[in-house]
Amino acid sequence: MSEEELLTLEEVVLVCAVTPEWLRDRVEEGLVPAAPEWRFSAVAVRRVRRMHALERDFDAAPELAALMADLLEELDALRARLG
Amino acid sequence: VEFKDYYQTLGVAREAAADEIRKAFRKLARKYHPDVSKEPDAEARMKEVNEAYAVLSDPEKRAAYDQLGRNYRPGEEFRPPPDWDAGFEFSHHDFQGADFSDFFAELFGRMGARGHGQDHYAKVLLDAEDAFLGAARQIALRVPTVDAGGRVTLETRTLNVKIPAGVRAGQLIRLAGQGAAGAGKPGDLLLEVHFKPHARYRVDGRDLHVDLPVAPWEAALGAVLRVNVPGGALNVRIPAGAQSGRVLRVRGKGIPAAPPGDLLLTLRVILPSADTPKARELYEQMARDLAFDPRATP
Repeated sequence: MSEEELLTLEEVVLVCAVTPEWLRDRVEEGLVPAAPEWRFSAVAVRRVRRMHALERDFDAAPELAALMADLLEELDALRARLG
Repeated sequence: VEFKDYYQTLGVAREAAADEIRKAFRKLARKYHPDVSKEPDAEARMKEVNEAYAVLSDPEKRAAYDQLGRNYRPGEEFRPPPDWDAGFEFSHHDFQGADFSDFFAELFGRMGARGHGQDHYAKVLLDAEDAFLGAARQIALRVPTVDAGGRVTLETRTLNVKIPAGVRAGQLIRLAGQGAAGAGKPGDLLLEVHFKPHARYRVDGRDLHVDLPVAPWEAALGAVLRVNVPGGALNVRIPAGAQSGRVLRVRGKGIPAAPPGDLLLTLRVILPSADTPKARELYEQMARDLAFDPRATP
C-alpha cells in the first residue's frame, strides 16, 4: 500500500468509458497528465471523467474542456482548504 | 421496474426535433452540473438527465423507446415484452460504465456476457483518523449482472472493504477480484480515497493540517504543549514570539504512508476574554505598560 496505485491506459478507458484514441489524443496534446509509461493517477482519472462529460454534454473543444477541468481542480483545492 | 418518461425528464414534447432535445439537455446539464450546481439533488438529477439524453439523442434508441413507450405512463410498472428490441441494432460501448437506472438496463441492457469482468470504480469517504488507524467500510456497488436470458440487470452488491493505515487523499486502492464478475475472471475494484471535512483536521496528500489553539503567553514566551492528533498525543515546542497563523511543521508525523507525511500545526492565538476584574486589570496594565501598536508599520 506504500506506492500510489496508477492505472494503465486500458484501465482508464474502462472506468471512464472513453475510447483509447480519445485518451491518447488528449495525453499527446498535454491536456491529461500521464506518468511515465502511460500510467494515470486518481487525479488524472477524475480529470478524464470531467473532460469527457464536458466534451460530450456541450460539444466542447478538448482545450476548453481542459480549461474547465483546470478551474474545477482549483475549485476543489480551495474548497478543501475551507474544510 | 418503473417506466420512465424521458421526454418529461428533459421537458420536451414527444415530437421534439433532435436540435430541441440537445438544447434542453444542455440547459439542464448546466443547471445540474455536479461541480457547480447549488441544487441539493444535483447529482441524482444529472444522472436522470444523462440517461434520458442517452436514449433520446440516439435515433435508434429513441425509435425503440417511442415504439415501446406509447402505452405507458411514468411510474407505471413496466416489463418489456420478449424480443421487443428485435430489429434494432444498438452499439453498447457508449454507455459502458455509466450508472443508469434499472429501467434503462432493462431496456437497453442486452450487452451479452463479456469475456472478462470489468474493473469497478468507486469513491470512499474516510475520516482523518482512518488514515492513521486503518478502517473497515461497507461499500454498495451497482453492478450489471447477466441473467440466464442474457439480459442485464443492475444489482446492488455490498462489499466489506478493509482500508489499510497510511492511505492518502486521492490515492487509488486496488482490491483484486472485487469488481464486476464477467464470464471469465472478475475485474478489480478501484477505490478513490477522499477525506471528510473535519473541524480540526485537514488531509492534504500525506500531510495532516491541524489548527492548534494557544494562549497569548504560550505564543509570546514559548511553551511545550501536549497535542492530540489522530495518531496519538505528542509534545510540540512552540518557539517564543510565535504569532497567530504561524505554521509549525513536525516531520514524519503526518499520514503514516511510506514515506510518512508531515504534521502541520497552524497556531491560533486565542485571547482570554476580559470578563473578570482580574482579567480586566491585567489587560489594563498591559495597555499602560507596554509600548505596543499592532498597526505600526515596520
